[in-house]
Amino acid sequence: MDNCYAIEVKNISKHFKIYADKSTTAKEKILFRKRNRYEKKQVLNDISFTIRKGESVGLIGHNGCGKSTTLKILTRIMYPDSGTVTIHGRVSSLLELGAGFHPDMTGVENIYINASIFGLGKKEIDSKLKDIIEFAELGEYINNPVRTYSSGMYMRLAFAVAINVNADILLIDEVLAVGDVNFQAKCINKLMEMKRTGITIVLVSHSTDQIEAICDRSIWIHDGKIQADGPCRDTHRLYLRYMGEKRADSKGDEEKSEVQENQTVPDDQATVSIQTEGEKAVQKILQDRGDDVRYKDRMRGNGDAKILYINSYDSEGNIRNVFESGESVTFRIKYKLYKKTSEAFLGLCIFRNDGFRCYGTNTKIDNLKMELTEENGEFSIEFPNMELLQGKYYVDVCIASREDDMLDYLDGVNAFEIYNTTGEIGLCRIPYSWDIEHAR
Amino acid sequence: MTKLAELYSYREMIYSLVRRDLRGRYKGSVLGFLWTFLNPLLQLVVYTMVFSMIMRNNIEKYYLFLFVALVPWGLMNSAMVNGSTCIVGAPDMVKKIYFPREVLPLSNTLSNFVNMFLCFLVVFAVLILTGFGLNFQALLYMPVVMVTEFIMALGIALLTSAVTVYMRDVAYILSIVAMAWQFLTPILYSSDMVPVELLPIFRMNPMTPVIEAYREILYYKAVPDLTTLISAAIFGIIVLAVGELVFSKLQKGFCEEL
Repeated sequence: MDNCYAIEVKNISKHFKIYADKSTTAKEKILFRKRNRYEKKQVLNDISFTIRKGESVGLIGHNGCGKSTTLKILTRIMYPDSGTVTIHGRVSSLLELGAGFHPDMTGVENIYINASIFGLGKKEIDSKLKDIIEFAELGEYINNPVRTYSSGMYMRLAFAVAINVNADILLIDEVLAVGDVNFQAKCINKLMEMKRTGITIVLVSHSTDQIEAICDRSIWIHDGKIQADGPCRDTHRLYLRYMGEKRADSKGDEEKSEVQENQTVPDDQATVSIQTEGEKAVQKILQDRGDDVRYKDRMRGNGDAKILYINSYDSEGNIRNVFESGESVTFRIKYKLYKKTSEAFLGLCIFRNDGFRCYGTNTKIDNLKMELTEENGEFSIEFPNMELLQGKYYVDVCIASREDDMLDYLDGVNAFEIYNTTGEIGLCRIPYSWDIEHAR
Repeated sequence: MTKLAELYSYREMIYSLVRRDLRGRYKGSVLGFLWTFLNPLLQLVVYTMVFSMIMRNNIEKYYLFLFVALVPWGLMNSAMVNGSTCIVGAPDMVKKIYFPREVLPLSNTLSNFVNMFLCFLVVFAVLILTGFGLNFQALLYMPVVMVTEFIMALGIALLTSAVTVYMRDVAYILSIVAMAWQFLTPILYSSDMVPVELLPIFRMNPMTPVIEAYREILYYKAVPDLTTLISAAIFGIIVLAVGELVFSKLQKGFCEEL
């Protein structure tokens, strides 16, 4: 039975022509033929998925990945180059709010115009009018011309109309950022209510929270292809990890190029063989630390040793800056020694990005004795279960002598991010167990 | 057929667009909706003065001869000139909401049609008040002619509005085309004045039978020729079919082109 599907999308592809300088008049079209050169941009590349009746699905992806285009094709505003879309049921789309509003007409008159654009008849609107006015919370303003409305009131009215259209399938494109917090909550509640009555919902967003609030399933679209499709939790974990890695990469690239521009590289750094992007990035930090006046004040340590870089690794030994809460995180720190030290301590401390000190420890606390003799050394510290919750964190590392003389201290390096999909809040996970046997 | 059913379900939208257009047309002017009647009336006054005092010719009551043809021509003219911009003029709606795109040219043509109908009320009033009179039996054929012209105007509006999206020049070319077409249609003159050797080409003009039918009914106060009516209807259907065919082909790219 294909009738259990609300939306069937089969192998759709879509490309746009990106004109460098588009000519729309006949004269330009004839005279400047060369200008009509365009680049072909493949927005959707052979996408297929099906959505069951009553399912609520989120489409997620970074800007320009094709998620809005997919929605536009579902709405039938755009047509795919190839492939088919079959839709069973009446579609209402919340792509644009307040379409066709006429500023000189009153709220009620505009309700009729706007609702008619969604394909409602007069009788249907009559029967919905009360609900719409109530939902918009406009009170007596409903009989004033729309041009006298504040932007919040305008959006509330527009959303009230759009959401009260009797549709089987509701397509929403990031329009939930409407009005104040109360109204937003009301919109989400209304969507939940509609979901319970069996309406199919497709929501496009780049906010995983928003999709998780409403949807059960999430499709991650990346560069015109479906990257992942499944329960929100699973899709979003992959998506967040990818986004985190991408962020780290672009950061690395930026800093790399800056380093290359800088001609005077200090001696000790020139000798270090550059291995990874991440290492280069940290070298930049190190270099800043030496040259920048701001860092001079914050430099602590007598310079007998210098920390060269610090990286974070996952359990498989890959450099990563984004981890899921509970994953294993290993920090590996490389240093260079200028003077042999009989007994030294290593320390590491994790700060949240608002400056809160989350956790710090050192080898002295753990009674580990160390002798630093090699010129180039490395040490690492593993957190087998990093129980910090969602947030952005920094690390401070230090090497100190037995007499608490700081050999080197590096602060605010190696930013990493933690995400969690469980919904727990706070700083970190604290082990617990419930007893609900006697709750009744 | 499914297209028609879909358009029917969007009737409320068509209705409210027509209403908005008619109400908005003279918005802000002191006399408001009265202009709908004043405009043709004042036009008629000018024609009367010019053609009965300055440019006299041997057609009896030339100003009426001209006017009963000019009013229906107005519908075709606005279908071309206003109709061509009805998609380009509503980019927000076309890019953001789904509705059958035919709604826009259809409601545009409808509001022009209503406007023509109101002008005809002025024509009727003038015909009765000046003692020229009306033939009520002939008048029964009026709706048929009006519907035929409406179909033709809709076809033209579909065609021009769709093409204008891809080439904005069309909107400007059209005002010239409209003028040329007006002179090639027996509006200022009667078809008897056309040289016989040109007559076959002249008959190719879809507007010729329409205008002739109007004039037959209102000016000559006679029941129009059946062949005139049939050829008008055939032309109307052809124009609409071509218009819809082109429109349905081109409308798929509207969102990207706007």
